[in-house]
Amino acid sequence: MNTIKHYLSVYRKFIETSFAEAASFRLNFVLLILMDIVFYISALATVSFIYDHVSMIGPWNKAQLMFFVSFMLAVDHLHMVILSESFWMLSTDIRTGNLDYTLLKPVHSIFIVFFRYFRASSTLNIFVTWATLIYFGLQANLTTLSWISLPFLVILAFILLAILEIMISTSMFWLTEGLGINFLRMQLQQVSRWPDYIYQRTIKKVFTIAFPILVIGSAPVRFLYDNKLYENILLLIGAIIIFYFLLLKLWDIALRRYDSASS
Amino acid sequence: MANLLKWWQTMRISWSRYTAYRLNFFLQVIGPAIVFFFIKYSLWSAIFSQEPHKVIQGYDFQGMINYHVWTLIVGLVAQGHTAMNLSEDIRLGRISTYLIYPFNFWEFHTASFFSFQILQFCIALISLGILLAIGVISSLTLSTLCIGFLFCFYVSLFWYLLQYLTGILGFWLEETWMLRVILQIVAGFLSGAIIPLELYPQKFVAFLNYTPFPYLTYYPVKVFSGDYSHLMQAFLVIAFWIGITFVLNHLVWKKGIKNYTAAGM
Repeated sequence: MNTIKHYLSVYRKFIETSFAEAASFRLNFVLLILMDIVFYISALATVSFIYDHVSMIGPWNKAQLMFFVSFMLAVDHLHMVILSESFWMLSTDIRTGNLDYTLLKPVHSIFIVFFRYFRASSTLNIFVTWATLIYFGLQANLTTLSWISLPFLVILAFILLAILEIMISTSMFWLTEGLGINFLRMQLQQVSRWPDYIYQRTIKKVFTIAFPILVIGSAPVRFLYDNKLYENILLLIGAIIIFYFLLLKLWDIALRRYDSASS
Repeated sequence: MANLLKWWQTMRISWSRYTAYRLNFFLQVIGPAIVFFFIKYSLWSAIFSQEPHKVIQGYDFQGMINYHVWTLIVGLVAQGHTAMNLSEDIRLGRISTYLIYPFNFWEFHTASFFSFQILQFCIALISLGILLAIGVISSLTLSTLCIGFLFCFYVSLFWYLLQYLTGILGFWLEETWMLRVILQIVAGFLSGAIIPLELYPQKFVAFLNYTPFPYLTYYPVKVFSGDYSHLMQAFLVIAFWIGITFVLNHLVWKKGIKNYTAAGM
């Protein structure tokens, strides 16, 4: 309990400093909000334009796929606020040896590396993402159980996304220039933004079992549409547990690889 | 002649810089284009698998895949360049060196851009060769290919000037990457890179034709597909926007350099 309290107090400081920093650059603050909104509009409009010409894509109609996209945007929003900034700092920190200072601190290095930078500006977009999610949820006729479980599933989906992205980022320890890994990470994110049924069988299997990025959105949304498909929730939770332990192992191996450039 | 030699040497140095970390270059520049194509291929395969003979706004399955193959090539050649280092040069005070060099900031970055374009052209040719070999592209003539690539280089010049403009706004902004991302999202959506413009509402497309966006992807794809009916119009529209962005770049630089504080000096 004390450990959790300690971590929460550290995280509160991270949030405070991030807000203070964001308030110093007001135009940046506005541009970040604008950037996210432009992205949301383009993602939703693309699907909407396609459905002007087809009635179904796979088993889902327009309302269902629009809800799926909104669900992924809500997950993406959490990712933007909590994690996204930190990934870009990691490659520089490894290359310059700045990671030394992180490793010396009395908290777990994953926590300080990936949760240090909180994107304050993007917090405001929670109204946009959740309004969209509720709007398309109503159109998709979600049940009461689905509405109740929706916030928890968004959080679980975000946790799986975070674990998988941190795992990808550990490969930066093996590279001189790790910037490209962030682009790989973003591309895998793009793959997960579409439902798993659009992909061919082998790709679907690889991205469901070996590296479950397709589980992030497809599994919870399938459960939300049909509450009898609870195995999707088990798949999501199972993937979180397994890949969390794999991440811890991988992170330890990666840290052993770190050669502390500044020392 | 001496100036040409400076351009040549800068291009060589930039080439080495781009290819120094090959995996990084692949993941940063080529990877996104391939993944983008893979997603679109999967999506349209899923759509057409339900009704294999369906024609959507003039596109059957093969036509749609051909369209996206050409968007991949156009994306590589015409919109590959980013202004990642420009704002960093300004923020960290690195442009001070360019101010005393006999080869200015604009010349240096333009030479780097040319070098990048040659590299991208080679990658596009290899990609095209692979796509031809596996039969994704069925017919192709040399004249269409030459006109298509020439038009793409022309479009890339406009894209470069736009990127340059977002980069030099670093004189006023702490970070300019958001502007670059906004530009990329807007260009991707409005240029027909995600779905062909025929699928957009007609009134929206009529409006888009007044903007430079359709000329970044949709019209170059049409040229590669052998449709030259809009080539002259596209050429003139891009010329108009190149003129505007060139003047804007000049004005922004002139005003920005007065603000420059040479951080770190």
